Amino acid sequence: MNRRALAALTTVVVAAIVVVAVVVYFRGPTRGSVQVASQPPVVGKAQEGKTAPQFAVATTAGYFDLSKTRKPVFVEVFATWCPHCQRETAIIDRLYAKYRNRVEFVAVSGSDTAMDGTSTSSELDVLDWIRHFNVKYPVAYDPTLNVANLYLQGGFPTIAIIGTDKKIRYLDDGEIAYGELDSALRSVLR
Amino acid sequence: MNAAVLVLRILLGGVLLAAGGLKVGHASSLAASIADFRLLPAAVIGPLALALPYLELLLGAYLIAGLFTRIAAALAAFEFLIYAVAIASAVMRRIPAGCGCFGPKDTALADWPHVAFDLALAAASGVVAFAAPGALAVDRVLRRV
Repeated sequence: MNRRALAALTTVVVAAIVVVAVVVYFRGPTRGSVQVASQPPVVGKAQEGKTAPQFAVATTAGYFDLSKTRKPVFVEVFATWCPHCQRETAIIDRLYAKYRNRVEFVAVSGSDTAMDGTSTSSELDVLDWIRHFNVKYPVAYDPTLNVANLYLQGGFPTIAIIGTDKKIRYLDDGEIAYGELDSALRSVLR
Repeated sequence: MNAAVLVLRILLGGVLLAAGGLKVGHASSLAASIADFRLLPAAVIGPLALALPYLELLLGAYLIAGLFTRIAAALAAFEFLIYAVAIASAVMRRIPAGCGCFGPKDTALADWPHVAFDLALAAASGVVAFAAPGALAVDRVLRRV
């Protein structure tokens, strides 16, 4: 192969990478799935007052390992298609702005269904969700649904607040008001 | 000089291969890291997060192989300069942006040592571009064909 042919091949490969990236992104998560997850059970083994089940995930703010943090932890298990979770983003963003220096926040995807409610969830689906709802707090895509298996309490979103002693101090599901979560966080920080 | 250029090519190529390889499959993390810098619109961030790891892998492989060395090194210098400028702007604006340089496990925040590191890599890439192709380069074989 001569130099000119290699240059042409390189140009084609670079152009293909760029075109595929643009097409995959703008076609949205419905047809751009990169990983498939399985359906979690409705209720995980996490219980208020008990030791929080260990998990570690790669978030948008870096690697998070529950066993290695010394701060209280705010965990949300969400589904991108869930309207309650979509509305909850504004509440969690406010809490994150207020407590980010004293509490670790991590939201973990917990459904194998994407934002459109029909196709399979994926890393791109979660990316689209972050962008669409302007999410500021750390978010992780969990293709194994491991965290959902451990923490989900029957519905999305499920929110757990874990104390520095690794005990679950607050655990509930559904659309939860700012005041209730703010009060739970203040209680953990006391 | 040729041996020194070869060493620089391997170092720079290794950095790019590691940076690209550790980002593959983590498009959302990378997009969030890019978004943290508040420099690019969302419509650009998504495709960039999907394409960048593969472009870095390609650039790293070309540098190590010594194929189109001058162009590859110039592009690498440009890339490292862009990173340095972006990180410096985040530091100066006091934005706590995660570097995200080596995938989602890289939790280091953007700071001045990162700027210095990227400037050093840009300078090394500039040297390679100037003195290309160096020893054991595919470019040398192609010239003979």
